[in-house]
Amino acid sequence: MAPDRAVAAQARPEQEFFCFRVGDLRLGVPSENVLEVLRAGLLTPLPRTPSFIMGVTGHRGEVLPVVDLLRFLSKGEARIGPRTRLFVGISGSYVAGIVADTVLGLRRIPVSEILPPPLGGDASAEHLLGVVQGPGAQDSINLINFSKLLQTARQRAVAR
Amino acid sequence: MNDEQAPQAQEEVDILFFDIGHSLYGTDASQVLRIDRSLPEDITLSELGLPHRGHRALVFDTPEGEGHLKVDAVHAVRAIPLSSLRRMPPTAGAAPYAVGVCLEEARAVLLIDLVETARTQGNQGRH
Repeated sequence: MAPDRAVAAQARPEQEFFCFRVGDLRLGVPSENVLEVLRAGLLTPLPRTPSFIMGVTGHRGEVLPVVDLLRFLSKGEARIGPRTRLFVGISGSYVAGIVADTVLGLRRIPVSEILPPPLGGDASAEHLLGVVQGPGAQDSINLINFSKLLQTARQRAVAR
Repeated sequence: MNDEQAPQAQEEVDILFFDIGHSLYGTDASQVLRIDRSLPEDITLSELGLPHRGHRALVFDTPEGEGHLKVDAVHAVRAIPLSSLRRMPPTAGAAPYAVGVCLEEARAVLLIDLVETARTQGNQGRH
């Protein structure tokens, strides 16, 4: 008889992540930080903002700042195309749209499989919860500490 | 129908829409004294985009005298419901003259405080 799922989950706790690709990076954000996914519409650039703020867009009657994670993590530069998506990320009272080239979906990842961020890595490692290895090196997913990332983004923006 | 049943008048503000380069902006129309021909010394802020031709200038009052912001085109003054205006999100940390956003269907039009553009440039153009 198959073991009871609740018992199995207790034995092997999991965490759910919203996974996506941007540039060459495969990233995951805790699903509780993600409200919804939408098409990247018209962006209004903002003067004198940090380069990782691509602009703002109107969404459900609110103004959403749009963040380029590649620029934020110093890993390149996102491009907005017809297939580009934004996911609406939230942490406390802060809400932002994050650019994603491809949505990989929700994945339940066993906590035991989450490896710590690489020691001696670049500055972007401080915003990682950990890494999940895939079958190949290109299949690994970097798990983002979204609350910390949004907090840092805000600090960098207002400190200018 | 008595007064209690009358629909409440929606508060509105007159917004003047204008272009600089490829970008559309809005400003509180009450700040604008007149629209004039531009002169070379008028205000241009590269962060707002460089004007294509910039043959017009929005003239506004500042404590130091008149300020002149060079623009490409002035579209219209429209009464916009206050409910369509939003403050700049704190996460954005935009320039002080970018005071908010006017939501026009799917489009978000940046609202500019003209006096702050003059402060930013540190130069009020002609006086």
